[in-house]
Amino acid sequence: MLVRDIMRSPAVAVSPDTTLQDAYRVMREQRFRHLPVVDGERLVGVVTDRDLRLATSALAAVPFPPGSRVAEVMSRDPLTADAADPVEDAARTMRERKIGCLPIVEDGRVVGIITGIDLLDALIRMTGIDKPAGRLEVRLPDHPGELARLMTFLAGRGLNVHSILTYPEGSESSRTVLRVASIETRQLAQELRKDGFEVLWPPEKPCPR
Amino acid sequence: MPALIYDPAYGRYSFGDDHPFSPLRVAMVLDLLWELGHRLEPVAPVPATRQDLLAIHDEYYVRRVEELSAGKPVRDAQSYGLDTPDTPAFEGMDEAGRWLVGGTLLGARLIREGKEKRVLQLGGGLHHARRNFASGFCVYNDVALAVHSLIRRGLWVAYLDIDVHHGDGVQQILYDDKRAMTISLHESGQYLFPGTGDVHELGSGVGRGLKLNVPLEPLTEGDSYLEVLEKVVPPALEHFKPAVLVVQAGADAHYDDQLADLMLTTRDYEQIFRRILGWADAFTGGRVLFTLGGGYSLSATPRVWTLLALLVHGLPVPEQLPETWRRRWGRVLGDRPPTAFHDPSPLRADIPNRAEIRHRNLQVADRLLQGARPYWF
Ligand SMILES: [Zn+2]
Repeated sequence: MLVRDIMRSPAVAVSPDTTLQDAYRVMREQRFRHLPVVDGERLVGVVTDRDLRLATSALAAVPFPPGSRVAEVMSRDPLTADAADPVEDAARTMRERKIGCLPIVEDGRVVGIITGIDLLDALIRMTGIDKPAGRLEVRLPDHPGELARLMTFLAGRGLNVHSILTYPEGSESSRTVLRVASIETRQLAQELRKDGFEVLWPPEKPCPR
Repeated sequence: MPALIYDPAYGRYSFGDDHPFSPLRVAMVLDLLWELGHRLEPVAPVPATRQDLLAIHDEYYVRRVEELSAGKPVRDAQSYGLDTPDTPAFEGMDEAGRWLVGGTLLGARLIREGKEKRVLQLGGGLHHARRNFASGFCVYNDVALAVHSLIRRGLWVAYLDIDVHHGDGVQQILYDDKRAMTISLHESGQYLFPGTGDVHELGSGVGRGLKLNVPLEPLTEGDSYLEVLEKVVPPALEHFKPAVLVVQAGADAHYDDQLADLMLTTRDYEQIFRRILGWADAFTGGRVLFTLGGGYSLSATPRVWTLLALLVHGLPVPEQLPETWRRRWGRVLGDRPPTAFHDPSPLRADIPNRAEIRHRNLQVADRLLQGARPYWF
């Protein structure tokens, strides 16, 4: 999944001379919280609803009047991303730099924007959680061929896998989360266990005595 | 007089001998009722028509079911959840599915026309089927169709789903409808198919606040189940004031069920059914339509549904299982066939975090009511 698959495009932008009041109105009307600030075609900053509220707050030492220019309160030289970046790269940048959005720039022009909410949508889509399915979690030794063994097992039963996420867990193993088109997830888990897989989810059910 | 709805043609809804959705379960219920000396005469339905199905299902979906049913290849069947390992195609599946829908629709009609108040449809409850997608053994959604047949004639319906799986198909079809409330108690979607049924799924548009979900912890036992059931259902019915209660009475929350992880016993089911009948008397003038649903333990499911039939008819619950019935079904009753009608009590299962499970379930019920109540006023 690439940034272009989840970005909002075109992005609504304002100019550095827009007043705080007008920028706030744009946010309210369009239900956005992040606006790129462009001078002609060149991206010069980002202004958020938080910037506006802090700048105009009665608690500020010297509150900005509503007619002030956006250029006075925006963040300058914002980080940007490319439409062809993988979404996880964008997510890492936003997490590491603690920012809520990334304008997407192509040939010096703002073509879109992604926010934290768009990344949540990406997570939901990546996990295939909107299709009826059973969830399996399997711990695999971190060796070549282990994931293939798991997939061969499922393919052998004619099961469709809606989504699969694999991530490293310590240095020796990886964890794989699958959503499988099967109501019989529990049996599947038992069969996987019998075949030597370490199934973490669904957990085993104790027997009544 | 309560009515029982059944036709031997229901047995044609079968995905093969090794498939868990076995017609044997209902055959065992009828035989057990007979051996207990009850001569209940079922009312026979007619199959639903194609037109009936189109009240909810898309024509292009029904057409694909018909083609598979006639043995024709359908290249994109899997895109519609058809001909999959869970829901394999079989010859005659269209007609078999329409028989079950016909039964549930007949139940709705008997209630609508004031001919019956308590009806038990001995089949159906295919709550996973979507408008254009088969899922979890369900091809046509008989319960959503029955609810629809009532609400379009002005009778508002509360749908209660006690199957261990989330009633996702019914919920989705009625999601933005203000004339139907759906309540589903199920093992949490984090653990179990189909993965949905979170407390935050409250409905949309004018239907918001009317779709209620109680996702339960794995290993939930009867006490905790009844506690949350009582916490959620009466206030919801009190608010919604339905004309009819439709109940999907899947039996797969039983502890012996291999598809899921709840720990209900037949004694718990007796309590649940008695409560539901009481709520029907209190909130819908006694009008209640029960269907079957999931339930994959051949030892437990026939006893749970026989119990339901007995309670619906106000008949006593026996102590023992008739010897003849046990002998006749011995080969499917498992290694330790039950001798008593009820499960042993108490269950004494090894559940390490019982108190925590109960606590979490209560919290979920609270969170659900907190989320839904603002839409009730
Ligand atoms: Zn079920």
